Order: sequence, then C-alpha cells, then structure tokens
Amino acid sequence: MATERARASGPVHRPRRRTHPAVVNALKLLGLAVVLVWCLFPFLWMGMTSLRSGSAAITDPNILRGPFDLSNYREVFDQGFQFALRNSLIVASVTTLICIPVASLAGYALARLPLAGKFALLAATLVATLFPPVALVNPLYQMYLRLDEWTGISLLNSYAGMVIPYVALTLPLAIFILATFFAGIPREIEESAKVDGATPFQAFLRVVAPLAAPGVGAAAILTFVYATNEFLLAFSFAPNDLNVQTVPVFVGTFQRVGYENPIGQVMAASVLVSVPLIAFALILQRRIVAGLTSGAVKG
Amino acid sequence: MATSPMARARGLGERAMGRVFLAPSFAFMAVIALFPVFYAVGISLYDIRGFRQEFTGADNYLRVLGDSGFLNAVGNTLVFTAASVSLEFVIGMAFALIMHQAFVGRGLTRAVILIPWVIPTAVAAQVWRYMFDRNPGFVNSVLGTDINWLRDPSWAMVGIISADVWKTAPFVALLLLAGLQTIPRDYYEAAKVDGAGVLQRFWTITLPLLRPAIVVALLFRTVDALRMFDFAYVFTGYSNSLATLSVYAQRYLVRDPDLGYANALSTVTFIIVMLVGLAFISRMGRHMVGDVARKEK
Repeated sequence: MATERARASGPVHRPRRRTHPAVVNALKLLGLAVVLVWCLFPFLWMGMTSLRSGSAAITDPNILRGPFDLSNYREVFDQGFQFALRNSLIVASVTTLICIPVASLAGYALARLPLAGKFALLAATLVATLFPPVALVNPLYQMYLRLDEWTGISLLNSYAGMVIPYVALTLPLAIFILATFFAGIPREIEESAKVDGATPFQAFLRVVAPLAAPGVGAAAILTFVYATNEFLLAFSFAPNDLNVQTVPVFVGTFQRVGYENPIGQVMAASVLVSVPLIAFALILQRRIVAGLTSGAVKG
Repeated sequence: MATSPMARARGLGERAMGRVFLAPSFAFMAVIALFPVFYAVGISLYDIRGFRQEFTGADNYLRVLGDSGFLNAVGNTLVFTAASVSLEFVIGMAFALIMHQAFVGRGLTRAVILIPWVIPTAVAAQVWRYMFDRNPGFVNSVLGTDINWLRDPSWAMVGIISADVWKTAPFVALLLLAGLQTIPRDYYEAAKVDGAGVLQRFWTITLPLLRPAIVVALLFRTVDALRMFDFAYVFTGYSNSLATLSVYAQRYLVRDPDLGYANALSTVTFIIVMLVGLAFISRMGRHMVGDVARKEK
C-alpha cells in the first residue's frame, strides 16, 4: 500500500514530513487543556451563580455581572442543608463500615480458599454488580410496610432503611475488587506464615489483610462514593424528612419558596457538597483509579 | 499423592473457613437483593389499591405490554442509552489518547478527570438543568439560540444526554487510559519501522489490544444508562418527555400508588437490564472471572 503510493507520486522521493517537536508539544498541551476545561467549566458556572444575588442572577446569563454576596449560602443553611450534609456523611460512612469488612471476608474466600463452585460464585458476583436499583425500590417499599405492620419497626424515613439496600447493592463490586486484590498477593507470603505456625485465620488477619490494604481502601472509597451519590432509593424511602434526607435528595428535589427561582440557592448547596467531595477525590486519586480499573485491565 | 494428616486437617480448616467467610455477604445479598426480586413477582400478580388486594394473575403484565407510557419509556431509555454511550465512548477514547500522549501535566489531568465522576448525579443534574433553563439562559447565550430546553421533549433529551456525557466521558477515559498503559511501546516502534501511519497503528495495534478495557467500559456504561433515574427525574420530573424505565417504574410507587403495577414494571425493567448485562458478560465474563482464578494459581 505504502509502496503503491510512493510509485504513484512519481520518481521524486519526498522526505517524510516531520512536524516540529515544539508544535507537537503545544498540541499535546492544548489537548490536555481541553480535557481540563471540559471537567471544570460547570464548576466555574456553579460557583459564580451561587454568589450572584437579586434579580440579575435570574435574568442575565452573564455570570460575571453582580451583585455578588453570600445570601444564597445563608438561605440554604436556613433551610437546613447542614442536616442533609450530616445525613449523607452518616449514611455513607455506616454503609462503608458494614460493607467492607463483610466483603473482605468474601473476597478473600473467593480468591484464596478452597470452595466448591468458585467460578460460578465469582460469575454471580459479577452479574450482581449490574442489579438495577429500581428493581429493589418497589418490593422493598412493600417489605418495609409489612415489617412496620408486624413489628412496629419503621424503616421508611430512617438511616437503616437506606443503609440496608446500599450495603446489598455495594457488596458485589466491593467483593469483586477485593478478590482481585487478594488474588494478586503472592501465596508464598501466606504459606511461610503457616509454616511459622499460624492458623489459616491468623495468616489472613495478620499477614494477608495488611498487604491488601490498598485494595481495601479502594473498595471502601468506591462504596462511600456510591452511597453519597445514590438518589433513587433515598428519594423513595426518605423523601422529605430533614432528619434523614441525604444531599442528593435535598439538591435534586429543591423546593422553590413562593414564585422565586431558587437557582442561586441550588448552586450554593451544590458548591457546599462539591468542595469536600472534590478534595476527597484529589487526595485519594491513586486509590480511586486503582479501584475503578481493577478487573478492567489485565496486568 | 499421600497427604500428611496435618495438611489434611488444615485443608478442612480452610474449607470451613471459606464457607464461613462467604456466608455473611451471600446471605445478605440473598435476603435484601435476591428475595425482593421474587417478592416483586409475587406482588405483581395482585391488584393493590389502598387496603384492597385482589389476585389478578398476569393482568398487570398484559397491561404493561399495552401501556403507551411504558413503550414511551422504553423508547426514551433506548435513545438515551444509544446516544450517551456512543458519545461517551468516542470522547472518552479521545481524552484517553490525549492523556496517554502527554508528558507534562498528565498527573494533574488524571486527578481532575475524577471530579465529574465524584459529584453526585442528582447535583450534576441540577447544575445542568439550570444551565439549560431559559432563565437566565446560559446555554442559549453561549450557543446564540432561543430554545426552551426543558419543555421541548427532544431538546430535553439532548440536555440529559449532554449532562450524562459530561459526567461519564472522563470515567470512560480513565478506564481506557489504564488499558492503553498496558500496551508495550515496542509494538508501536516496530509498526513505525514497518511504515505504518498513525491511523493504521490505531486500527491494528491500539484497538485490538484495548478490547478488554473497551468491553468493560461499554458494559458498565450501557447498564448504567439503561437503569438511569437521576438526570431524567431532575430535568423534567415524571413527565413523559424524558421518563426512563426507572422513572416510569418508580412513578407508581408514591406519585400514583398502584403497587401491583409498580412491581410488574420493575420486574420487566429488571429483566431487560439483566438480559443486556448478561449478553455482555457472556462475552467478557470468562475473561474477567478467569483473571482472578488464574492469579490464584
């Protein structure tokens, strides 16, 4: 193919065109700039809009035009946004604290211990990661109502009502990530601990678990992020009680007061939840990438 | 092969430990995820209005098939999935290639690319909804248009597709970048020596070797798009213009309480999503699962 083209272009041998390295580097930097702008520009708009007050914010699309003040932030706190932040933190933390120890045991068993039908169990775990939450909302709602009738325990409008399905929905991915990490730890380390007289359980707890810490961290972070992100179940089971309402529900169903367009307040709330989450993502970057890409790439 | 009594005892110990370690996870998932699926099928055979319950057999499923609202939701979900997943794939691939080429600033970009991923979808949806909203009209002012994005069904669909592509194209880029980094540089050098151009190298080296990462990214994105609730609900509520399968099934829970029908809808949605997921996994799963099993040896 290349020789044909060379023949067609005649006897004159054209040297291969080389782009100047400086131009290449400039293009590469431009490419990165596009990626950065893509990821960040909505936050510029969000931040500026949250600071604009008065009617200009609703009628004028120019985000550089004031007046600017903090009134939107005052208003979202008056409406109890601090409770939503607290609720999200509690629900996500408790979900993670329950999910990860339980998933670590299963992940270790699947990666290391002799089990009948291991392949089927791993495949089932993988399939379970695809579970659509909407298939849980309707029957679980009915189960919560029945439980309330029989025992007087009401899971609607409670932390537990969210945490229970969140654990069920995050377990499969956590197990899969942890199994991948455990499988990557050299077996010899474990064997030598056993030679030294450790029981299988001691070998797991003292030797393997600490080595799997990066995997445990990655799985914990992904679980935490899933629970802070979840909207459908939280919105169905705890829609408007500020004692339990989470951030996605508070922001996603923001009620306008009277006829006023609440754009500034919604953006103020969005800024308040984005700042800690962005800091979280930047600090834990390596762990997150390791978790997201485990299983996706063959090393 | 003769096994020493000690080794046999240890083997038994490990076998028991395996079952004990697995039990909590699988028991929890069985009670909280698997049982409700069957329970939903049970409820879906009844007509439930308030305190009145009446067994109606397959009536709810027959109603699903003839329900124009449901067929509309299927259509919306398919349009959303096809458009957003293909755009995310193309843009994510472009971003991954850009980041793979770069030397300066790669670390920074790889950190920043996580930011759209970590923001809760409902929050991202509100931000995009207000950017599209006619008042103050940010998107219209940038594009120089005068479109009522939230009221016009087709434009609203463009709106949620844009928002979803913004949020998840970087995630796809991250998965593909990890795949790109496993391709040995020598392959490209050798191809260059043989006179292969940039495009030829992409088609004959990058794409085939990236296949596992591509299939995983497409699997997660497709299933996520099929079960999407947040963007559609935040943009237009329960209105038919954007109602996806998840929005439509949830609508009969609280907004128009009809629990039998709601559970028939979520059962059908469950079947659709799992069938598509299984179609992917049957091609890919052996590879992914085998990876864990292989490392073990």
